[in-house]
Amino acid sequence: MSGARRERRKADPDLHDPERLYVITGDLDTGGRDALDLVTMVVAQAQPSPTFQPEQAAILRLCQSPLSVAEISAYLGLPFSVVTSLLSDLLATELIESRAPIVRATLPDRSLLEAVMHGLQKL
Amino acid sequence: MVRVESPPTDREVPVVRVVLLPVVLILGATAAGSALVAPAARIPVAVCGAITALLVAVLTVALHRRRHAMRVQRAEYEQRIAYLDHRILSHDAETVRLTKEVMPAAIKRLSVGNSPEEVMRDIVDADVANRHLPKALREQIRQVLEVIDNEEARRDSAQRAFVSVARRVQAIVHRQASELREMEDHYGRSPEVFDDLLRIDHGTALIGRLADSIAVLGGARPSRQWPKPVPLYSVLRGAMSRILEYQRVDLHSIAKVAIVGTSVEPLIHACAELLDNATRYSPPQTRVHVTAVEVQTGIAIEIEDGGVSLSEEARARAENMLAQAQAGINMNDLGESPRLGMAVVGRLSRMYQLQVSLRQSAYGGVRAVLIVPRDMITTGPAPGIAHGIGATSRPTSSLDMSQLQHVVPPPGKRKPKPATGPVPSVAAPVPTGAAAAAPRPAVPAAAMEDDVPVVTEWTENGLPQRRSRGRAPLGSHNLPQQPPPAPVHANGTQPGRDQGAGDQGGGEKPPGLWLEAFTKAVNGVPQERKHGEDSDDAWDKGDLK
Repeated sequence: MSGARRERRKADPDLHDPERLYVITGDLDTGGRDALDLVTMVVAQAQPSPTFQPEQAAILRLCQSPLSVAEISAYLGLPFSVVTSLLSDLLATELIESRAPIVRATLPDRSLLEAVMHGLQKL
Repeated sequence: MVRVESPPTDREVPVVRVVLLPVVLILGATAAGSALVAPAARIPVAVCGAITALLVAVLTVALHRRRHAMRVQRAEYEQRIAYLDHRILSHDAETVRLTKEVMPAAIKRLSVGNSPEEVMRDIVDADVANRHLPKALREQIRQVLEVIDNEEARRDSAQRAFVSVARRVQAIVHRQASELREMEDHYGRSPEVFDDLLRIDHGTALIGRLADSIAVLGGARPSRQWPKPVPLYSVLRGAMSRILEYQRVDLHSIAKVAIVGTSVEPLIHACAELLDNATRYSPPQTRVHVTAVEVQTGIAIEIEDGGVSLSEEARARAENMLAQAQAGINMNDLGESPRLGMAVVGRLSRMYQLQVSLRQSAYGGVRAVLIVPRDMITTGPAPGIAHGIGATSRPTSSLDMSQLQHVVPPPGKRKPKPATGPVPSVAAPVPTGAAAAAPRPAVPAAAMEDDVPVVTEWTENGLPQRRSRGRAPLGSHNLPQQPPPAPVHANGTQPGRDQGAGDQGGGEKPPGLWLEAFTKAVNGVPQERKHGEDSDDAWDKGDLK
């Protein structure tokens, strides 16, 4: 993990923007984060307007179709916590909507597994 | 006294003429007397008359000579006085010229970097007008030059020391900042650590600004270079990130231009100092408004605060400070409790041809206007986060959101739920919980099993088909053919912190597999997904109502 981090730093020492993340996140003390997860799906409810912060506008643009928080974070190149903070602001103003992903069966069908197992054994 | 410079010959004639008159008169009187008196007294009278005449003649001649000599002497003195006057005047003129022309020229030459000897040679010896300066004056000039040179050298070394210390601090801060950014990326998913990192980051940025200020006051240019143009919005937010109370700054209608790389750092610094002034000298509950509009000469960045109104006197003082700084200030002028801000802004504006003015604001406070010259601006596409994110690479997904449950219910519909415990059905909202009680609770356990090899597709023969793992984007694994049978939700733990939360759903499934999917998503896999589209299509056909 640490090795990967060093690698990446060498790759782009100067590509960071002058703004630090806390400016994007906003007030650290008041801005709580909603219960958002990496796989929470987010969809925009409104079009971005010029008055928005660029990141929020970008989220609204990206989320015209549903997108997971992890993907938003990847597209924006921002850490997860920053994204959740931005999303929380947007959620508070009802500009986006968030949904949990459709969950699969948490337990695989036991009979199916057994069928597969038997099939394999017969081979 | 007789050796007067050869009196002209016509002078002799008046001498004779002057002598002649009294002598003739006396001789006449003597002749008349001797004619009138008795013959016996005639001889003595004639003798007396002759003697008198002789005496008068001699006296007259002597008198005349002396008068002549005096006149000559006076003329000589006058001439000498005139000469001395002239000398004094020319000396005065020389002194004035020395002060007004020679010395400034010499000092200017000295300040360019010549040694006192070179300056003496160039200014004094090489100039015809100065070549014949008296030795004392030459010496004087030389001494003054040497004193200035010494003083300058001392100040230079002091400034260099300042700058080199500041540079070292800057280097440390810079490294710290990039490390912090890495850590922020790394710990981005644990909010507590992340928030603390942000606080440290903020403090580091403040230290960095102070170091920058010292370097600028020491006469150095900002060290940091930005290789590419940076959008003005990012520049202003960069300035915000270097002040204490950045939360109070509002950016309104920032012109969509970019700043060329070499001018980014000074502009950030100047704006940061102005913003710092604005936030520092206004009440903590007021906002500071920043706008940036295009004007004829470039971009006008206006920073308005709602603080105490700047009195005319205070404004004059501040502008004076700016002007002083623009003229090149001395570190010594900063005083005991230095208000570095204006001095730094003045310095920077002089170095980079920025124009700064302070005016009364409509909000009652101060309005600082910073004019960025046009040659610092580029309208070309600037990289960066502020503009055009995701414009090109928007994923196309067609999930039906109405099928999904709210993670964060819309305001008004939120109801506190227990943060832990299984939730019976899909349709029910995931337990959201109070943010304070359990930050980020309510993660469906299934969220973590995206990459566990499970049967998701079926062949025509009804055999289960295993899908290759991790290729599909998150959230697209679900097929309508397999309705979720009452999933058991996780016990309210967050996957990032508690990897073992999947025990309910997956038993001994390796935790942390979701990370791989996340990494894949980061790497842009959604663009080339094949199975994902399949599943989406199936989803569309099967279940879109």
